Amino acid sequence: MVDAAEQLGDDAGATIHVRSRRFGTFDVPADRVLTFPQGLIGFPEASRFVILEHRPGSPFRWMLSLDDPELGFAVANPGELVAGYEPPLELACRLLQAPAEHVALFVIVTIPSDPSAMTVNLMAPVVVDTRTRAARQLVLEGSRLGTGHRVLAAMEPAQPER
Amino acid sequence: MLVLTRKVGERIRIGDDVTVQVLEVRGGQVRLGLAAPADVRIFREEIFRLVQSQNDRSRLPDPDSMTSAANAWEAYVDGRRG
Repeated sequence: MVDAAEQLGDDAGATIHVRSRRFGTFDVPADRVLTFPQGLIGFPEASRFVILEHRPGSPFRWMLSLDDPELGFAVANPGELVAGYEPPLELACRLLQAPAEHVALFVIVTIPSDPSAMTVNLMAPVVVDTRTRAARQLVLEGSRLGTGHRVLAAMEPAQPER
Repeated sequence: MLVLTRKVGERIRIGDDVTVQVLEVRGGQVRLGLAAPADVRIFREEIFRLVQSQNDRSRLPDPDSMTSAANAWEAYVDGRRG
């Protein structure tokens, strides 16, 4: 397992210019584009994405579609957000046909209007072969991991206004 | 919708490389064996819908929601540190 932010960019070659009303305008090195051959589940037309840093210190990253510039997600390394998280490496390696040292894994974050209720989808992580940047959304049927794992402790007492 | 009748042990082939075999019929349940290449995704329908709807709910409406999540996370981490 590698940290994908380190592995998914080589800073060389052509760039792709993306213009999004929602997310602004940015340039993406062509060698950082992830390809989901079957699309993201429920978005079969969205097969090319890029993962970008959010801001220093943030565990979150953008995962933005290059096929639909208005489609974007927040993703994160679950190891940073979920204590004791164990990645489904065996399945990821088998489906990507990649050795573990070339597999990166992200979870998709769901951010409701109250961000403290944010959840991560542990049942369906995104895995990437960092050599080819081929990506796939796994579905861990039969595991106890759900699609809406609360990130912040659910019973956190409310802080008084200051 | 195509409707086929199969006996236990018989198969259906979909395209060149996907097969569905009826393994067992008992009570109201049918056990199926599916063989397909690794790039073909096979899900129970309800699981597919679950992930599809979660993905749909996860679409970022705007960049601010990302910032609000990062702020909430930072406040949470700071709070745990005391």
